[in-house]
Amino acid sequence: MTTVAMPNVGSALDRVDALEKVTGRARYAYENFPADLAYAVPVQATIAKGEISAVDVDAVLQLPGVIAAIWHANAPRLAPRNGDPELAVLQSSRVAYRGQYVAVVVAETLESASEAARVLRVRYDADEHDVELRPGHPGLYRPDHVNPYFPTDTEQGDPDAALAAARVVVDATYSTPAEHNNPMEPHATVAVWDAEGLTVYDSTQGASNIRDTLAPLFGLPPGSVRVISPHVGGGFGAKARAHPHVALAALAAKQVGRPVKLAVTRQQMFAVTGYRTPTIQRVRLGADADGRLTAIVHEAIEQSSTVSEFAEQTAVPTRMMYAAPNRRTTHRLVRLDVPTPSWMRAPGEAPGMYALESAMDELAIACRIDPIELRIRNEPDVDPESGRPFSSRNLVACLREGARRFGWAGRDPEPGIRREGGLLVGTGVAASVFPVYRMPSQATARAEPDGGFTVRIAAADIGTGARTVLTQIAADALDAPMDRVRVEIGDSALPPAWVAGGSAGTASWGTAVVRACEALMDVLHGRAGDVPPEGLEASADTTQEVRAQRRFAQHAFGAQFAEVAVDMDTGEARVRRLLGVFAAGRILNPKTARSQLIGGMTMGLSMALLEESVMDQEFGDYLNHDFAQYHIAASADVRDIDAVWIEEDDPGLNPMGSKGIGEIGIVGTAAAIANAVHHATGVRVRDLPIRLDKLVHGVI
Amino acid sequence: MDFLRPLTWDEALAYKAGRPEATPIQGGTDVMVEINLDKGRPAALLDLNPISELTGWSAEGRTVRVGAGVTYSRLIGELGSLLPGLAQAARTVGSPQIRNRGTVAGNLGAASPAGDSHPPLLASGAVVEAESARGRRMIPIGEFYTGVKRNALAPDELIRAVHVPAATGPQYFSKIGTRNAMVIAVCSFAIALHPGERRIGTGIGSAAPTPRRAVAAEEFLAGELDWDGRSALDPGVARRFGELVAEAASPIDDVRGRADYRLHSLSVMARRALGWAWKDYAGRGSA
Repeated sequence: MTTVAMPNVGSALDRVDALEKVTGRARYAYENFPADLAYAVPVQATIAKGEISAVDVDAVLQLPGVIAAIWHANAPRLAPRNGDPELAVLQSSRVAYRGQYVAVVVAETLESASEAARVLRVRYDADEHDVELRPGHPGLYRPDHVNPYFPTDTEQGDPDAALAAARVVVDATYSTPAEHNNPMEPHATVAVWDAEGLTVYDSTQGASNIRDTLAPLFGLPPGSVRVISPHVGGGFGAKARAHPHVALAALAAKQVGRPVKLAVTRQQMFAVTGYRTPTIQRVRLGADADGRLTAIVHEAIEQSSTVSEFAEQTAVPTRMMYAAPNRRTTHRLVRLDVPTPSWMRAPGEAPGMYALESAMDELAIACRIDPIELRIRNEPDVDPESGRPFSSRNLVACLREGARRFGWAGRDPEPGIRREGGLLVGTGVAASVFPVYRMPSQATARAEPDGGFTVRIAAADIGTGARTVLTQIAADALDAPMDRVRVEIGDSALPPAWVAGGSAGTASWGTAVVRACEALMDVLHGRAGDVPPEGLEASADTTQEVRAQRRFAQHAFGAQFAEVAVDMDTGEARVRRLLGVFAAGRILNPKTARSQLIGGMTMGLSMALLEESVMDQEFGDYLNHDFAQYHIAASADVRDIDAVWIEEDDPGLNPMGSKGIGEIGIVGTAAAIANAVHHATGVRVRDLPIRLDKLVHGVI
Repeated sequence: MDFLRPLTWDEALAYKAGRPEATPIQGGTDVMVEINLDKGRPAALLDLNPISELTGWSAEGRTVRVGAGVTYSRLIGELGSLLPGLAQAARTVGSPQIRNRGTVAGNLGAASPAGDSHPPLLASGAVVEAESARGRRMIPIGEFYTGVKRNALAPDELIRAVHVPAATGPQYFSKIGTRNAMVIAVCSFAIALHPGERRIGTGIGSAAPTPRRAVAAEEFLAGELDWDGRSALDPGVARRFGELVAEAASPIDDVRGRADYRLHSLSVMARRALGWAWKDYAGRGSA
């Protein structure tokens, strides 16, 4: 495959929908008001485990404006066969976690529905619950695979013997807390039934996917469900699959025979829209005196709910990062009485690389080797576990370029010795990685009689700039100026497409767009450029092309550098500088790409210092379930941040030559910061986040 | 929920007398959050925003009378030199939007132990002007906080103003949070030097059921400082002052921080705030 010359691709163009967004004309899911609209407010379980024994529906039906109160005893039956059991809303009297939907009230106004939901009496028979992930939990088991389809465990050589024989061993256990995605726009759904079927205005990362989920749930053919989602205020994975509120809105609308709007509140999101599992990870590294790895063992334990298994691929990046003849990765899961975890920006890589890259820093210190040099020494020639060649692997180039830009040379590795007044200052580095995926998608390209073009694909722009980048790609493939090309996305009535997930959106959609445009250009050439009054259309389906792809090991890489200053009297750690250097194929739009990368790095800073969903063991609730208590980095926490990239020409990827950049920015950031904190203070924090009290622990 | 909207102060007092369960609302930065988080529903809201007299402040002798409607932004902009400790605390409240709406009187009404205004009010020796249809009452700040989110107001009383003595010496406020903005204090501390009376004022936030003074620390320090000679601070005195401040607190473990961390950081903040204040005082003497 060769990449084609592209004048628009590679340019730092403004977003094509910027004006619509800043003037408030871009319409989000909640802002749809079909005629005869009613409002649904869900009722959430106030126990973590047990049975619903009674719901006093009659009392709330007396309240003004209330249309219906629905629970499992009077709910329409769904058909969640083979589907996600979380979507079987109001189908059972069983309560599997605190905050699970147990009823929904529909009323004429949001106020009436809220009031009725608040006073609705639900009686429970509560059971003892268990919501604590802990090592040695008797319920730990080996899942069949980890997300999305990786083997649960891998092993090569004899890692135990290699560790026993190793000159230097690092054996450390790291933990990461539950974290919640918290996109700026909370989830919202407006469901409308008519003679044709079901239409859903939703805030989603994948209209086709939501359609394909909802249709069987309600016993409909996919063609009878339409999902419309032109603008989405962020997702970070929390909108990549249908969560229970989507099914609940559709169920409520069906029951009352009117359009229904359901908005998930920020507080409710902590129970019903997914989150990142907490992890406990033991990493063991064995090395010779020169720091060459002889063994790598990464064992992760995580949680899922009793409703459904979500097994995060925490240790998977360890399978390909560094060379070592003896290696093992394992994942164990325990099913607790908690909400079901799901995808959150870089599932697997974000928590897994925090552990691995912290352990690499510990090994560098143990071997008295510069941490960059240590990584270079352990660079593999081919993917260590599969033996496949890398299509491109520029981790070393990223580390070297970052070292040059950051001023790494001459760094004194001794921890705890750089004082500036009352502050201790240090620097840290960590590697970053994210796999390259590409999934089948379809697109159409149309030549209009007025000389313009329309490209259609059910892609999603969740704030990434996808609409802009697809317009650039289409314009170049059509050899047309940007303002003559209109790209329509965010609607399941368009040609079906992969979700905005796995950092695979642009690669998947872009391939389909290029192929559709090429097909249209062929038709146009055959007609010497003549466009009939009804226009000309061509389509593409990339299923064959994607399946036929050569099986390289394909990943984007990066290096993250952090400088921190820690007040050792109070434990306040502040990140003074963050630099990310990435190798991610061709960067299609430097402006939106930089936003994606520094956005990911900021989220990584937030993961390092702030984000933590605290489980209340007594009530089974994430108790800091609002923005007053769940802290995300504010602008004032981000002093000096930059993301740059090195040129990478990898023609084996896709027609654009691009790798995904939506997630890699968060990977490794927390380790770089934790490593810098250690360099500054001599305190190794192995449990995120790096809270104030953990840094003064030795003092008090 | 009823929404009561008096246009004059007397009307507000009459409403409150008739509906003592009504919750007064000014900036709404606390009341609305509580409602949104479903932490109780007031039977009625009493909106004080239309009463324009509340938004004024005046210097009356050596005291500044700050109306209940004066926002944090205006405190910062207009009262930074008269009430430096309170203005410093105001700068750390929420975000610019919150500071444009929130008021010190609202902080007093909510009486959260983490409210940023409380430590400087305690250190300055402020007095709360409370009023009801029955009459007016001046409540010394030390008697105002009665429990977690409880204060000395009678059910029919409203806060009309807070009277804060103008600074006669250096004042400092220190706060620890987990991030650089929009953060509830893990704990906080204020100090005010009152050189005329050879007295120290202190205030501790977020480290006890109520905001409180560290009285033993104040008395110790007042006796140890070289008020006349303005000589350098004895590090031993500063350290002991920090210890006494921590001893005055009785913190708990919560999501924002551990109790032992709060005690530790309180002593650090007390020592530091004293250092800054004494440096100013000693510097002024030699100038």
